[in-house]
Amino acid sequence: MYDFLIIGAGIIGSSVARELSKYQARIIVIDKENDVANVQTSANSAIVHSGYSDNPGTLKAKLSVKGNKMYEELEEELRLPLLKTGAYVVAHNKTEENQLLELYDNCKRNQVPKFEIIDGDEARKNDPNLSDSISKVLSLPTTKVTYPWEVAFAAMEVAIQNGVDLVLNSKVIHIEKKHDFFVVKTQKGIEYHTRNIVNSAGVESDDITKLIEGNSPFTIKGRKGEYFVLDKRTKGFINHVIYPLPSEQGKGVLITPQYHGETLLGPNSEYVDNKYHAVTSFNGLQYVKKHVVDLAKNIPFNQIIRSFAGIRSTSDYEDFYIQESKKTSRFFIVGGIESPGLTACFAIAEYLVNDVINMGNLYEKKDNFIKSRVEKIKFNELSIEEKKDLIKKDSRYGKIICKCEKITEKEIMDAINGPLGSKTIKGIKKRTRAGAGLCQGGYCEEKIVKILINNFGLKPLDILYDKEESNLFVSETKVEV
Amino acid sequence: MIREAIVIGGGASGLAAAIALKKKNKDVLLIEREINLGGILNQCIHNGFGLDVFKEEYTGPEYAKKFVDEFRSMKIDYLIDTTVIDITKEKNHFHVKITSEDCGIKTIISKSIIISTGCYERTRGQIVIPGDRPRGVITAGSAQRYLNINGYLVGKRVFILGSGDIGLIMARRMQLEGASVLGVAEIMPYSNGLNRNIVQCLNDFNIPLFLSHTVTEVESDCNNKLKSITIQKVDQNFLPIKETEKIFNVDTLLLSIGLIPDITLLDNLKVDFDTRTKSVKVNQAYETSIEGLFICGNSLQVHDLVDNVSKESLRAGKAAANYLDNLVEKRQVINVIPGKNTLFTTPQMIDFGWVNQELVLNFRVQKKIDKAKIKVYQGEEVIFEKIKTFLAPAEMETLSFDYKNLHKNKDLLLEVEDISL
Repeated sequence: MYDFLIIGAGIIGSSVARELSKYQARIIVIDKENDVANVQTSANSAIVHSGYSDNPGTLKAKLSVKGNKMYEELEEELRLPLLKTGAYVVAHNKTEENQLLELYDNCKRNQVPKFEIIDGDEARKNDPNLSDSISKVLSLPTTKVTYPWEVAFAAMEVAIQNGVDLVLNSKVIHIEKKHDFFVVKTQKGIEYHTRNIVNSAGVESDDITKLIEGNSPFTIKGRKGEYFVLDKRTKGFINHVIYPLPSEQGKGVLITPQYHGETLLGPNSEYVDNKYHAVTSFNGLQYVKKHVVDLAKNIPFNQIIRSFAGIRSTSDYEDFYIQESKKTSRFFIVGGIESPGLTACFAIAEYLVNDVINMGNLYEKKDNFIKSRVEKIKFNELSIEEKKDLIKKDSRYGKIICKCEKITEKEIMDAINGPLGSKTIKGIKKRTRAGAGLCQGGYCEEKIVKILINNFGLKPLDILYDKEESNLFVSETKVEV
Repeated sequence: MIREAIVIGGGASGLAAAIALKKKNKDVLLIEREINLGGILNQCIHNGFGLDVFKEEYTGPEYAKKFVDEFRSMKIDYLIDTTVIDITKEKNHFHVKITSEDCGIKTIISKSIIISTGCYERTRGQIVIPGDRPRGVITAGSAQRYLNINGYLVGKRVFILGSGDIGLIMARRMQLEGASVLGVAEIMPYSNGLNRNIVQCLNDFNIPLFLSHTVTEVESDCNNKLKSITIQKVDQNFLPIKETEKIFNVDTLLLSIGLIPDITLLDNLKVDFDTRTKSVKVNQAYETSIEGLFICGNSLQVHDLVDNVSKESLRAGKAAANYLDNLVEKRQVINVIPGKNTLFTTPQMIDFGWVNQELVLNFRVQKKIDKAKIKVYQGEEVIFEKIKTFLAPAEMETLSFDYKNLHKNKDLLLEVEDISL
């Protein structure tokens, strides 16, 4: 019998698992995906917003301002990647400047810690490629950029080292409430018993609620966003996160410098019929190209290395829905978590655990909670002396596997072996960035295949790109007899 | 110890450059990141190599062996399984930072560098094919490596985007391994591969070639595995035409959509770049805008035939030896500018300081031209003229002329006039 069963191992499920693992409770996280952080967390702008655009008084406003601050507080403890870029919201004319003033008031009401309106020319001094037609900008110094996969891994790793169980490849198909506990059944036919459920199933949070209640207090509509990734050689082309004025469709098409040096262009915003499936489209990507030129000049479109799409779980509730179900006690719903969900993740977890679940009244805190994450070496970010020392300790740091991102053999081994290890090509890419650069895995994938075969005993035909059955190879042509 | 020359890359280009340097008694070190010399030739198990250089037809590994044998017999120093991570220039010397499992990180100092790092394959992301991002969309060269080196077949039902030579060769190769190749789509109205490959790799196997078509949609199944692709005819602006969709149920989409010189090692050197070749500019001695830094082979420009890579790299190695022998006089540079109907030229500069350096001018045309007049101007004056038939973007052209008597302060302009009618 578990005390808590969390459905969904995205950024929210992971943060909630970490927060709950501070208490003496038995906790399990289950997810239908084959890895942590595979859906919404996997495809977004990677921004830790300041809380500038959320409606005052909403949970979104409150938790994003707080969540932003928590990133700074947890930066060391969880080894969070943070690029402190700041952001500019831009206005091109008098009408837009008036909207910028409204946004300025919004910042005040949301208690964003720092913000000011500056002249376009002043902003262009810091970001010379800002469009010449920009007359004023709202500067938001607390905006920063992170690397969402790493945030989810950090939270989940801490949860795991504090005893949380994680079960992947397990789609929940049935939930039943018995007297004082739930029976949760997965597609694989396994039943889990738990006293409490946290539903943090992202785009499927309404579907999961329906499993037990027949209907859901909100409906998730998928809202797709499509992006271009510019090669990291564009680093410095834009230094701040650049937002247009927000509209009904959200924060708009942005330019976002990324933690590892790339630049993101996008997203568009389009409601889709199939919320389970994020696909790029010719029209969507054209829309991004068309709108992004309002923000900057000299955009290096010739350095696009990838495009991708993500689905936002937009709910008709309009705010984050973080409540105990009104129909089913001990069933906690964390739904409709779209932007600023990544920003607010740690604050959402704290709010849920402290204010909604009232964990402090129910369970004792652990006195042996391990708050820090095991150190993860990012070889390329070290000084030359540190690198040489590490190679002396383990020569596999001397061997480059991914030449674009300069990822070493030891880092690949760690990604496979680690507390949240993965043996899929995509899983290893998420953990190390091998394959994320200019050649998109053309060079390193084969070398990773060799490591999986030689060091981990995998058979070539069993190597997966991502999910079960996404095998890299269909047959061997040189089988020894 | 200061080396005279470091050659980076042990494929066709690096081997030839190192051999040329050693023939001139230079102290040369070659660095290769793989565990074998020979580079990409090792995975090109088809024949068709060497007709020009050896007057015989070899497979890729056979062709590589010719050079590897000569290289080894000359006792040239080399490192394998070693990656160069950075190159900087301090005063007159280059500092080459290398790393390997055996030796860790080390810096080697050298008077000259020859970049022979080859090219990488353009990916799906760079041409932005919309749709899902499943397993099964893979560059043709990667699939070739898996098949020919490792012995792993990536799929059974295959479609190929791009009619570049690797794509055509892989169409035949996959078919021979028992896969079905359902077609090849080419966005241009003509193929980008050598004619012999169209005949031998597609026609002989009844594989249809869809000219003026491109892939406009990639669809995956719920396991993130390729399920189908859609191709569409394109108009003159390469935009898809509605209602020309054809769907193919395939498990593999091979991409043969172009090769790009791999010059990422030059990131920290300020070298003049040519957006046309997507590599750096060179003079007639294959020297870049940085003195003593040479580049050749596919890292300078993507060649059609390995024979030309070898010949070019031998010239580059020889030039580097001349540089080390201080045979370069006072430098004076003019530009070579690609004009009408030309995509690019190499060299992009002529440096009159290189007094005894032969000029081999390469260029590609922008479109197919049946009959052309090739003209090189200096100002108003035509200094070279030649009539040539059957020019195509897929085939690199070569000119050679004496430049010693040219004005030393006026750029050259290369033009190709279409006189087909």
